[in-house]
Amino acid sequence: MSKRPSHPETARTTLQKLLSRFHFGITLFAVALSGLTILLAGVTALRGHADRTLELAAELGAYGTEPALVFNDPQAAREGIEPLTGIPGIARLRVLDDRGRALTEWTSPGEDPAPLLTRLFFPHPFSVPVRRNGSVIGTVEIWGNSSTLTDYVRLGMLAGLACLLVTACGTIILARRFEYELVKPLNEIATVAHDVRLHRRFDKRVQTLPIAELDRLGGDINALLDELQGWQGHMEDERAMLAHRASHDPLTAMPNRAAFDEQLDRRVRAARLRGERLALLFIDADNFKAVNDGFGHAAGDAVLVALSNCIKEALRPGDFAARIGGDEFVVLADTIDGAGDAAALADRFRACADAPMTLPGGDIYHASVSVGAAVYPDDGSDAAALLTAADASMYADKLSKGSQG
Amino acid sequence: MLASLFLIGASWSLPQGALPPMTSQPASQAIVEDGPDGLTRAANRMTGGIISYVRWPDGQSGARRTLCVIGAPRLTRQVAPIVPSGPPVTVRPVAAADVGGGESCDILFLGRLSDSDRQRWIGWVRDRAVLTITDDDPACVRGAMFCLAPRQKGLGFSVNLDAIGRGGLRVDPRVLKIGQSDEDAA
Repeated sequence: MSKRPSHPETARTTLQKLLSRFHFGITLFAVALSGLTILLAGVTALRGHADRTLELAAELGAYGTEPALVFNDPQAAREGIEPLTGIPGIARLRVLDDRGRALTEWTSPGEDPAPLLTRLFFPHPFSVPVRRNGSVIGTVEIWGNSSTLTDYVRLGMLAGLACLLVTACGTIILARRFEYELVKPLNEIATVAHDVRLHRRFDKRVQTLPIAELDRLGGDINALLDELQGWQGHMEDERAMLAHRASHDPLTAMPNRAAFDEQLDRRVRAARLRGERLALLFIDADNFKAVNDGFGHAAGDAVLVALSNCIKEALRPGDFAARIGGDEFVVLADTIDGAGDAAALADRFRACADAPMTLPGGDIYHASVSVGAAVYPDDGSDAAALLTAADASMYADKLSKGSQG
Repeated sequence: MLASLFLIGASWSLPQGALPPMTSQPASQAIVEDGPDGLTRAANRMTGGIISYVRWPDGQSGARRTLCVIGAPRLTRQVAPIVPSGPPVTVRPVAAADVGGGESCDILFLGRLSDSDRQRWIGWVRDRAVLTITDDDPACVRGAMFCLAPRQKGLGFSVNLDAIGRGGLRVDPRVLKIGQSDEDAA
């Protein structure tokens, strides 16, 4: 569990947050851009509209004030421009006679909402000459103001804001969904990788993912896991083999001295705990050196294998046998009732060993074994004592045979 | 969606902003310049203006018109209509008693007359395409179509819609409107 190099916590962000931020930014940009475009287009269109309105209003004023100019009548002129005062977006009206003197003038009582916009969009008044049979008898001047524009911009801003909200909400929901679709498979891959690393679960695999790139990544990870699993299995086999080799004799495939020592300790402890009895038999081939010397080592090995087979056959389930030296074997037998059982077991070994065997050279050989037995707890209360007792018993057996023949 | 909202916004913004209507001032009259000739000039200008807004049934808008002055004008020393780029006008005095002498007249300017003369002339005009203007009938009830009259600070005119309706002339309604409002003021 090695820690990754630690960055400041604030520098790290999740993929989801990153995507969310990007999505929001893009959405905001798009909506703002379109809103601005429409607003500008709208303002331009409205400005043209306002210009035409003012022009038409001026024409209407010119028509309405023509007799007034003919009669030089300010009241009639005022009445002539009165219909125009109801038109929104007109700040000021003026009717001039042919000598440029104002016959009547009207200023909108409403305040200009944005004088700057007015200066920008309506810097000059619309001026329409009033003609009577072709000759100019006066002029109608109209100043626009920004009221229609500001109304439009205000409403446009409000509508744009509402649109921004709606679009932002919609996009955020869609982005969330998209993020979920992307982040979920990534999380799945991460979970598998984490599981494998932390719990050695090499059998874990990434499921099929809906996104092609991530599925390929998952497939690669699965292939990697296959290889890892193969390596792992191979290593376990190797380790088991090594362990077996360390605790077994290669010739007879029986457990070796080390395995026996361990087994003896364990069984003595178990017998002591349970209050049971345990027999230790010590088996030694007689005159084994003579076999090696007389028939060669291959013959000796054959004898040893034959003996080991005898021992294995004679064992009951649960018994344990080991080769602890060149021609020395031991057997641990649980729940032996008494010395009689051990002696019966020893006799079975002897009988088996006594059977004639064909040596690799073709000679017939009768092996003989000396067997010594020790029973826990009668002959010894610990492993060493048992071994000593069994050894002594075996030697006694061997010596008795030597004295016989 | 955004565009439609903007359109809605635009359509909302347009009808808004109906400003309070201009209050009408009842006292209205043509501006009369100072000086001894001010009133004469104003009367002639007004007469010319009226003439320029009248269409005779012969349809010749630029044709020369004959103005016959009957009786003594009260507001102008000399009737000489100033017609802004309108038809040329010839002014001719006709004796008040000589009703037959008005045969070639397109316009009658009725000055101070006796009631009987006035009625004779008004009767003569009936069924003829002749414009009648007077400056001796401030209330405009004695049969002339247009009546010039001094106002508080200048000169104004009234219209007699009955007389105009009886005559065979076409008068620009804008002028009628001015004359009517003057009538109201008077």
